[in-house]
Amino acid sequence: MKIMNLYKLMAVLLFVAVGFSCVQDDEFDLPNTTVDIVEVEGNVITIDALRGIFEQAVADGDSEVTFTAEDNLVVEGYVVSSDEGGNWFEEIVIQDKAENPTTGVKVLVDVNPLFTRFEKGRKILVKLDGLTVAVTNGVLGLGLGGGDFIDKLPPSVLVGEGSDENLWRIFRTDEVATIVPRETTLAEISASGGDSALENVYIRISDVQFNRNDVLGENPLTFAAEPTDEFDGDRTLEGCEGGSIIVQTSTFADFKALLLPNGRGAIDGILSRDFFDDFFTMVINEPADIAFGDVSERCDPDFTACTGPSGGGSAFFSEDFEGIGSLADLVSAGWTNVNTVGGSTEWVLGTFSGNSYAQITAFSSGEDTIESWLVTPGIDMDGTTAEELMFDVQANFDNGTVLSVLFSTNFTGDPTTADWNLLDATIPVGPSSGFGTFEAVGPVNVSCLEGTVHFAFLYTGSESGASTRYHVDNVEVTGI
Amino acid sequence: MKKFFASLFLVLICGFATAQTQVTGVVVDTDSSEPINEVRVLIKGTTLGDLTDASGSFAISDPELPLGEQVLVVSKTGYITQQLPITIQSGQTVNIDRILMEIDLTEVEAQIGIISLSDNQLDDESSSAYNISGLLQASNDVFLNAAAFDFSATFFRPRGYDNANGKVLINGIEMNKQFNGRPQWSNWGGLNDAQRNREFTMGIKANEYQFGDLAGVNNIVMRASQYRQGGRVSYAMANRSYAGRVMGSYNSGVNQNGWAYSILLSRRFGDEGYIHGTLYDANSFFASVEKKINDNHSLNFSALYTPNRRGRSAPLTQEIRDLKGIRYNPNWGDLNGERRNSREREIEEPVIMLNHYWNIGENTTLNTNLAYQFGKIGNTRIDNGGTRLVEFNGQEAYLGGARNPNADYYQNLPSFFLQDASPTAQDFQNAFLARQSFVNGGQLDWVALYRANEISVANGGNAIYVLQEDRTDDTQFTANTILSTQLTENITLNGSLNYRNLKSENFAAVKDLLGANGYLDVDFFAGDDSNTDIGLRAQSDLRNPNRLAGLGDRYKYNYEINADVITGFAQAQFKYNKVDFFVGANIGSTSYQRTGLFENGNYPGASSFGDSEKVNFSTYGIKGGMTYKVTGRHLIDLNGAYFTNAPSIRNTFANARQNNIVSAGIEEVKIQTADLSYIYRSPIVKGRITGFYTQVQDGSDIGFFFTENQFGATSSAFTQEVTTGIDQRHLGVEMGVEAQLTPTIKVKAAASVGQYIFTNNPNVSYYSDDFIDPNTGLPSLEPFTIGDGTAKLKNYHVAGGPERAYQIGFEYRDPDFWWVGLTTNYFSNAYVDASTLRRTDAFTQDVDGLTFNDYDPEVARGLLQQEQLDDYFLVNVVGGKSWKIGDYFVGFFATINNVLDQEYITGGFEQSRLANYRDVLDDQNNTGGPVFGNRYFFGNGTTYYVNLYLRF
Repeated sequence: MKIMNLYKLMAVLLFVAVGFSCVQDDEFDLPNTTVDIVEVEGNVITIDALRGIFEQAVADGDSEVTFTAEDNLVVEGYVVSSDEGGNWFEEIVIQDKAENPTTGVKVLVDVNPLFTRFEKGRKILVKLDGLTVAVTNGVLGLGLGGGDFIDKLPPSVLVGEGSDENLWRIFRTDEVATIVPRETTLAEISASGGDSALENVYIRISDVQFNRNDVLGENPLTFAAEPTDEFDGDRTLEGCEGGSIIVQTSTFADFKALLLPNGRGAIDGILSRDFFDDFFTMVINEPADIAFGDVSERCDPDFTACTGPSGGGSAFFSEDFEGIGSLADLVSAGWTNVNTVGGSTEWVLGTFSGNSYAQITAFSSGEDTIESWLVTPGIDMDGTTAEELMFDVQANFDNGTVLSVLFSTNFTGDPTTADWNLLDATIPVGPSSGFGTFEAVGPVNVSCLEGTVHFAFLYTGSESGASTRYHVDNVEVTGI
Repeated sequence: MKKFFASLFLVLICGFATAQTQVTGVVVDTDSSEPINEVRVLIKGTTLGDLTDASGSFAISDPELPLGEQVLVVSKTGYITQQLPITIQSGQTVNIDRILMEIDLTEVEAQIGIISLSDNQLDDESSSAYNISGLLQASNDVFLNAAAFDFSATFFRPRGYDNANGKVLINGIEMNKQFNGRPQWSNWGGLNDAQRNREFTMGIKANEYQFGDLAGVNNIVMRASQYRQGGRVSYAMANRSYAGRVMGSYNSGVNQNGWAYSILLSRRFGDEGYIHGTLYDANSFFASVEKKINDNHSLNFSALYTPNRRGRSAPLTQEIRDLKGIRYNPNWGDLNGERRNSREREIEEPVIMLNHYWNIGENTTLNTNLAYQFGKIGNTRIDNGGTRLVEFNGQEAYLGGARNPNADYYQNLPSFFLQDASPTAQDFQNAFLARQSFVNGGQLDWVALYRANEISVANGGNAIYVLQEDRTDDTQFTANTILSTQLTENITLNGSLNYRNLKSENFAAVKDLLGANGYLDVDFFAGDDSNTDIGLRAQSDLRNPNRLAGLGDRYKYNYEINADVITGFAQAQFKYNKVDFFVGANIGSTSYQRTGLFENGNYPGASSFGDSEKVNFSTYGIKGGMTYKVTGRHLIDLNGAYFTNAPSIRNTFANARQNNIVSAGIEEVKIQTADLSYIYRSPIVKGRITGFYTQVQDGSDIGFFFTENQFGATSSAFTQEVTTGIDQRHLGVEMGVEAQLTPTIKVKAAASVGQYIFTNNPNVSYYSDDFIDPNTGLPSLEPFTIGDGTAKLKNYHVAGGPERAYQIGFEYRDPDFWWVGLTTNYFSNAYVDASTLRRTDAFTQDVDGLTFNDYDPEVARGLLQQEQLDDYFLVNVVGGKSWKIGDYFVGFFATINNVLDQEYITGGFEQSRLANYRDVLDDQNNTGGPVFGNRYFFGNGTTYYVNLYLRF
């Protein structure tokens, strides 16, 4: 009986053992990830040729070109944008060559993320059948046409997506190149007017820095995490040899909360245009695209900082811009209002809710170089001590700080012939879209100034660069 | 072997001791010689009879006892009915010392099959999990049979009670999890043949082990000595959850030296069940050894080990169902030619226990148990938040992260492209393309995940995607002692003391790096909408910042929960001729404490690291009940109880993964309940009808979800929703009746009609790391409340299965050992789970806290109407046959469920992603249907189950 039991037990064990069958386990080999290298049929053209086709159409009075299967064209290019850092969204920017590129195009596609397949340096092919080329947000773009602007391509255009390969338009090649940034200068960019061939190209601009108002002082700015940043943070990058451009960073960028670097050096990024095609922007892929040195190397203009005691006095000069018909009334009272490069953008009198102020903007000015001066009458600083300058500034539609405050002791009516010194006044930053509020600037210690002094508000905006609109009010000099 | 067919061993001793006319005796099992309780003993042709008690004894004494030659009918489901001739003489006692009952093969096989079916369903873990815990007992209650065998295909819950309200015991030790109060059925899945001995106590009736709960107590006896000697092998095939099951068991019976052992091995397997991509991979082992030391002492050792792994499915919106059908599962994708499921559940929690049985004298038993359970539960999912660290001028940022790669992500569906009030031709085109893509694909793209990681690694980055496993590693020790003493012939006392200590480690681990080398352990979403230094806030563990997690490493969160539960229980049962009654009481103490092992960047210091406040709950309860025997055929049964329960661990901590915060307003649940039954039994007809009423107060619930709702200054948040002070009422009637029309044909009917609703507007608190405290610049430690802080849930239905279920059926049982049964079941009044957030003032409030200026109460009423699911019929067929071949029994058992292939929804829920009037209205009115519509659990179409077995 005992042996019999054991026998039965063994039979049970055997039965179960035989019955064990395999279910896939949870160990998996790495799959082949190169399966989507697909041969693409068609005549391969350069981005330059694509631009040529578009420009021909524009010359013929069209605003876009939609390609057909019969055209049988494929454009090739190297990816230069990366949405890894979140500063690009549902766009692939490609340029014609990995080195010494001449032009680029932006492909709009409704997929996120893209860097996981179309990483920077990847050579891709875009089959143009059914796609439309047009200017979108100021730069050459490929997408879906049919409306006032081109739309994003649906996800099914990416190779491997969906099941219908007839819908595929964007293909990867197995070439991943190192992108060498194309060297350029702020002067070259601004000389192109509003339409540079380097748009959509990965460029390098050397010897630049962020405006001192943004990175020095008590509250240095982040890339795009200020309460005033909507959609994007616009920061003025200025060249040590002159000129400026806006570095535009999305408020969805992973690095939006990093502080701007306060040194000086080179920046790499993609040249683009702002949403409304009003000015050039530089868009970086990641913070490492900026290689700035130490703060001590900055090329800021020298400004005069008085160190003596100041404050506690009463106003002996003040202007609230009330009770006048126009700024011309002030000019007759000793003020100067002039654009020294000769354009028509000058300071004007603005009024809102019964409050009047001096106002200026480069928006819609059509002028790329503006130097507009608003100079106070001569103020006698000899009768007082511990003087301070204060005023209110409202920054609106802020896409870069382009206002500075200076003084001169030998001004005689023409700003270009006087010697000017910068004052240490921090100009507030306003919202990128919409109006800001008046913020008090100063008091700026001017106790070391003697004699007859003229203070000046200098606006250096540009239609193609920063066009921030400023309102200046309640200019006051106090002393004891 | 002949013992099986040994004819009845019957001794008749006629006593002259008393002048009373009565029939007494003891019923025992042929194989184990153990007494059998709940056996019906009846004088044939009369209604006079009794049920055996725990010692197998019965006594029939009645002045109307018929004299002379009578037939005693001894019956119990699962056993062959005995008909014994006796002679009753006036004033004499007929004592039948041992009535041997033999297990009825056909019944048992049916039961085995049915148990398998049921635990298929039980393995499902959806929030409104099935609650038929107690019903697996092949009870002889017609209603419970219907509920267990036929209503279980949907989310039907007897009396609307949660799974947590039914206690499951093994050898007297409670197995319900402290985490959510529910039994983890997988821990003894596949052990069917070793779990046939069950003692089920319905509702709050007297139970000898513990106080119990609303839905009853089910004790599974797994002692070596209690198994019939012999072996069994079986093979089952099905297309529900597993494809095949092979099981073999052998029980030694008790030998001359007092030793008994039992062993069971089984395996369940399948690449997918009815739902695509739901793999099933489960092995089960059971072993038990018992030594009967002497007449008074037995020592038993039992061990259960049932590692199992299953692919999970997902609830579907109507849009998804229309495009992909009810078998669709977005969780899997093709990888190397196989279907790989991204959401797998793996459970491996062996239990070992030692049981001591001591007969202290004639009438007292003391059962002392020790149990130790350890192991893990793991749930995998794709983590798409992988980043790399960028250091920039001494600051840190994390670049990367990817969108949710789930195939059914809302942005992949046609409705997403048709959200504009007037969609353009392009929108329709995109919707069409999305539709094509989803219909033809619609599965997880594993290759894309590997490719992303490959590219990231090639560029010096880390994993973008990994397979994350959320782990709960419990170590639980339980000790209890259960006393039963029969004070007099009429009075039995029960008592027990129970202690449980749980140490639960909870963490996420990297299960698969998908080709990458490591995962940067920071929260990519931290501080998404703030401008503070995310470098610190993003850290999972400030004490180990910017750590690269490798394969198997803990990351994201890591904490322990310690729980101590002590309970004491006492009960007295009184049995008299006309009336049985009982009273019981319990008292208990439960404490929970969280210990953070990571210092979370959002909650620096003691608010996440180290010990939380120790949360204590005191519980008590009283209950009582009586059975009034109008005659042997008519019984009236009444039970009532008032008791309190500690909330689950799950509900006690608002967001245990991140911090030590205790849920605001959490307290003991108070329950009052009563039921009244009328029971009728005659040789032909038996039936029961019960009315029940239960009022629950101060219940709690917790939910975790992402919502676009505006919370103060926060425009959207991943939030923890803590609902407390929930009052709900369960009111209804259940009945079952069956009639044995002929010896071979039985017809039956069962019904449950209830209403389970909330009876107040409970308090709701919201927590989130997106809610910034302006004073600290860090996430607030205090809850956020909306408007008056309540959710207007009063009179909404408590979701979870149909409130009404009906069955009619018949069975034909051929004398030639085959049988077939058919039931038709009708279900109605099931409701989706209502979003709590939508019922708060968030629904009507614009961002300024005032009512939306376009708010229309009539429209709002329509939007907030709780969806009632469609009614449906399910027809099930069941049958079997067995043969005896030599010393062997061979048989099969088969069922076809949902013969008519009826499509039906078992349950569902509203999504809280959109919560306010405008958003919900817009979503409802979308051209392409709602983007965030209700999600549903669909029932299976026609499925089969066949079990072949051999017994020796």
